[in-house]
Amino acid sequence: MNRQRVYIQATTQISIQSPLNENWMQNPIQYERPFIRSIEPNFRDFISPIEARRIGRLQKRALTTSLTVIHQSKVEHPDAIITGTGLGCIENTELFLKDMCSQGEYLLKPTPFIQSTHNTISSLIAIYTQTHNYNVTYSHRNISFECALYDAMLQFRLQKINSALVGSHDELTPSWYELLKKVGYSGNPSAEASVSFMLTTERNNSWCELGGIKILHQPSIEILKLSLGKLLTDNGLNLSDIDAVITGINGNQATDLPTIQIYKQLFGQIPLLHYKHLFGDSYSASGLGLYSAACCLKYQFVPSTLYYMETEDQIDNPQNIMFFGQSDYKDYSLILLKSSCGK
Amino acid sequence: MKEPIYITGAGIVSAIGLNKAEVLDSLRQHRTGIGPLQYLQSEHTELPVGEVKLSNEKMKSILKISESIPPTRTSLMGIMALNEALNEAGIVPSSTQCIGFVSGTTVGGMDMTEQHYLDFFEKNDFDHFITSHDCGACTQTIADYFGHFSYITSISTACSSAANAIILGAELIESGELDIVIVGGSESLTKYHLNGFNTLMILDHEQCRPFDATRSGLNLGEGAAYLILEKASSAKHRKAKAIGRLSGYGNACDAFHQTASSQNGEGAFRAMNKALQSAGLQTNDIQYINAHGTGTTNNDMSESIAIKRLFGDILPPISSTKSYTGHTTSASGSIEAVICLLAMIYQFLPTNLNWKYPMPEGIVPNMNDYSNTELKHVLCNSFGFGGNDSSLLLSKPVNG
Repeated sequence: MNRQRVYIQATTQISIQSPLNENWMQNPIQYERPFIRSIEPNFRDFISPIEARRIGRLQKRALTTSLTVIHQSKVEHPDAIITGTGLGCIENTELFLKDMCSQGEYLLKPTPFIQSTHNTISSLIAIYTQTHNYNVTYSHRNISFECALYDAMLQFRLQKINSALVGSHDELTPSWYELLKKVGYSGNPSAEASVSFMLTTERNNSWCELGGIKILHQPSIEILKLSLGKLLTDNGLNLSDIDAVITGINGNQATDLPTIQIYKQLFGQIPLLHYKHLFGDSYSASGLGLYSAACCLKYQFVPSTLYYMETEDQIDNPQNIMFFGQSDYKDYSLILLKSSCGK
Repeated sequence: MKEPIYITGAGIVSAIGLNKAEVLDSLRQHRTGIGPLQYLQSEHTELPVGEVKLSNEKMKSILKISESIPPTRTSLMGIMALNEALNEAGIVPSSTQCIGFVSGTTVGGMDMTEQHYLDFFEKNDFDHFITSHDCGACTQTIADYFGHFSYITSISTACSSAANAIILGAELIESGELDIVIVGGSESLTKYHLNGFNTLMILDHEQCRPFDATRSGLNLGEGAAYLILEKASSAKHRKAKAIGRLSGYGNACDAFHQTASSQNGEGAFRAMNKALQSAGLQTNDIQYINAHGTGTTNNDMSESIAIKRLFGDILPPISSTKSYTGHTTSASGSIEAVICLLAMIYQFLPTNLNWKYPMPEGIVPNMNDYSNTELKHVLCNSFGFGGNDSSLLLSKPVNG
């Protein structure tokens, strides 16, 4: 079958771990607070001071991770720029809302409004890089990132594109954190996430191969098993070829237990990895989950901090890692990453 | 040759009608839905708007939604429009079929958030509106009303959201992922974006006048519309009648400014050009363009230039139906796609209301009710903030 193969050519993050590098693999930063904001790099190294003054915090992070993967992959004008964001630019949204709700409707300033629209992130990247190609933003709760990645994969499969910049970006303000906590939506810890991937059809120098993605809404366990089977056979793999499953357990027993139950039904004894204890939870957290798996495949080792069970045997030279995500037990995602080293 | 994508159902809720029949009648009678604020509680009573002429309570009673937690207005309008589309296509979403649902919105549940934002921090009575705030929550609420979908997602590209939802639906079908995808968008009026647009000084205090020399801004509207996109073989198998065809589409980025369009209309030009190319059609195959035509100085100039760059001297009839519905922002792509379908089914031309004076270098919009050629292929433009520009090419069904 003539299938376009897709590779992660570069990826990076700004999160609660050391920004724009993989230091977390050796020296993860531990936190004991329930709400942590991202560690920011020096934006001046990436964005002109004039531009930096004009744009919001989330845009700065998104632009920085995007420019980093653009630079590393040398793809200046990707054929598609696709962004996922669950809440969008909530800081500016709240600025405009607070002013409107407390001061009325006659003293409002345009800047927070302009910077509050979800698609300003993707647009900003396009404006900054002068990229006129396909440009879309997904905002669908915890699977916003997966939806963005899925769109890119569809277009690769249809041979409409040869490169795609896929990112997922969410910020969290102290006030919106309070609201999420109130309705039980907060993570443990709650955090922020900006993560960018450059996908291309070029295998050389890639981090790993993106074998495929499935997103399912309210599937039965049988449908989940069928989709997993399809994803594996499409890639010429058996379940036993999967070295590890990475999932978004967030330390909340009530939601973690059912996730682990489904993981067991789907994957049996395959070692389980987690990442939210390092990166925190956010609407864009799944992007960091996939990033973590890509790091393991690139560096050919799984840091001990990722093992969910401390007793797990060390995985040497991982070849295939499956990302398994769920959102509110309604939406499930499966993303297969394959090593592009050797062979 | 790739298999055609049929449209086997469509539903619409807007200021000019709560279904296709009412919208058709308003268009043919040149009856605008834009008027003084009636339902939205805003201080800006001076601004004309295109409201859906129903309160949330009335919509709930029509839809027999009785629970104490009221859905947001965006969800309510979405449910009404989707209901009409599903009925026409003869589809009942269930777990035995794989049907996708892609909805565009930007305000999401903001209509409720803005009423209770300060309460959220002091009381517990309105907490459910915290969970209904985001775009995805609105799509989920609409989906849950109908039952089972195998993939649902939300697109938020400001005023081109629904158009991009339609494009994703087409790609899901072309790539063989799904046979039927329900696509479109829903957006309620909110104080939030009414005030946002007002601070940008792009709202007209009178009825908007797209492409007129005296135009001075847009009127905001609200509404929802959905199309049932279906692989031709699936429609044939179900014996479902095609009411139209999605024969092409284009998405491009102007990459110029967050809130302004470029002088040469680069994004718009590319989006329309891609739509034609993907359909394998030439400019002289197009019998009508439903323009984005917001009525702002900037958009109408930029769009005129883009159309002239692509079409040259011989332009098909062009109109902006935002003079009827107001600018329904994230829903406009699907609302105007339904209007284009109606134009082809009933073979009439939507006119451009309130136009009197030609703008220098601008296009002269259509003022005639009928075309002298059969409408077979029409372009439908949706351009968003951030330069998210998309264009859809809708056609009559083959043999239709």
